[in-house]
Amino acid sequence: MSTGARQRPALMHLYWWFLFSQGGVIAALLIPVHVLIQGILGPLGVVRVVDRHYDTWVQVLGNPIVKLYLLVLIAVPFFHFAHRLRYLLVDFGMPVARTVPAQAVFYGGAVVVTLLTIWVLLTTAPLSLP
Amino acid sequence: MPEKRITIKATRYDPEKDEKPHLQSYEIPFYDESMVVLDALNYIKSDVDGSLSYRWSCRMGICGSCGMMVNGTPKLTCNAFLRDYWPQAIVVEPLNNFPIIRDLVIDMEDFMHKLKSIKPWIIRKQEIPLGAGEHRQTNEQIDDFRQFSQCINCMLCYAACPVYGLNDEFLGPAAIALARRYNLDSRDQGLKQRLPVIGDSEGVWECSFVGECSVVCPKGVDPAKAIQQTKLDTTMRFVLPYGNRE
Amino acid sequence: MPAGWWTRKRHYFLYVVREFTALPLALWLLWLLVEIKRAGDGPARYSPHGSTAFVVFSVIVLLFALYHSVTFLSLTGVIIRVKLFDRPLPSGLISLAMFVLWAVASVVIGFVLIWFGR
Repeated sequence: MSTGARQRPALMHLYWWFLFSQGGVIAALLIPVHVLIQGILGPLGVVRVVDRHYDTWVQVLGNPIVKLYLLVLIAVPFFHFAHRLRYLLVDFGMPVARTVPAQAVFYGGAVVVTLLTIWVLLTTAPLSLP
Repeated sequence: MPEKRITIKATRYDPEKDEKPHLQSYEIPFYDESMVVLDALNYIKSDVDGSLSYRWSCRMGICGSCGMMVNGTPKLTCNAFLRDYWPQAIVVEPLNNFPIIRDLVIDMEDFMHKLKSIKPWIIRKQEIPLGAGEHRQTNEQIDDFRQFSQCINCMLCYAACPVYGLNDEFLGPAAIALARRYNLDSRDQGLKQRLPVIGDSEGVWECSFVGECSVVCPKGVDPAKAIQQTKLDTTMRFVLPYGNRE
Repeated sequence: MPAGWWTRKRHYFLYVVREFTALPLALWLLWLLVEIKRAGDGPARYSPHGSTAFVVFSVIVLLFALYHSVTFLSLTGVIIRVKLFDRPLPSGLISLAMFVLWAVASVVIGFVLIWFGR
């Protein structure tokens, strides 16, 4: 418990929670349709999905708006996942997950995924304007 | 018609004699459909075993003293009807997540300390003298916090909260709900004093929104909502470029 | 707190399921990242993932994804306070708006994924 000496809320927790909540919204709104179409309907051949063919996939991936969208879709939810899984470990009786090093590992992991996503998006399918 | 009977299994613990708490069974007459668990305990104390210890006062869901675990769920025993459990036995235990002092009595020191830490009273930057008249509020302004002001400090939410169970440094549901009650009050100007406590690492951020606190609250307070709204409000103050960072 | 506390109450168990959705969703997004990376393999070597195991995996992920969406969007209604003419909007209405947004986003993205697939 705070002794009241501090004048501000715990800012790191605040920022991680902010990213957690944004990631949660993005995951809730966007992920199901991707899983349904790219994970199930596409592979089963029910519909023709953009990533089933090289030409269409590369063409779409070259679009800067698509790159930005995919960055948001993939990177931001990882801050949500990191937060939830860290707290889940606490729930499972691992108080070590509350410590600063554990926070560095989990949220750092989300930062790594973000950088990895940027790298993949920039090195795959050259930018092309539609 | 033979008299109905019901079995109450109550936690017994005498710190001077017992190594750890154990359950003791009492079979008592269930003579009135309106009997509650507290009536059963009172019957045991007056007619069967006078050494049974528990807290109670008002018998009508106002004082918040008689909270106990009834079949594993935190409840006000004055509000837990025997008819909802009969003919099964009822297990009555002291509230989860608190140290036991004796039998069904828990140590509430930690809770009282936390309650005080969020300054649950109206704070003004400058006191208005009594002679200046009343603080006026519209119905809408009262509606903002009315729900959170119903708390009777019965601690059922703390007994239901796994986060508090795992880490007793957590400020906890009732204290944060009450902090929100004052922060939402148009007469109050104490947010700046409460924010370092409720926004601390052992404050709202510890909560993972299990939501059981709001389920068990006997007064319809929604502490889970209070905590998440506090997270959102606090975050917006610091994330938005035009937020009030005070 | 006993280790298996979350198995003792339905509400606690559903809470843990809600938090656990993070793991399958994370794995699936990593797969999507791999699928993007594959576009760098060149036209001859490009082969999108489509095994039965992957489809089964996706079906399981979809169930978790839907559970996350339904719980998260419902709870946003509890948390977000919007005042209109000095009166707070009912939380059900805010949740409903989130579900409508979810439906619109799904239709738009689904349309793009299929339209450009031709």
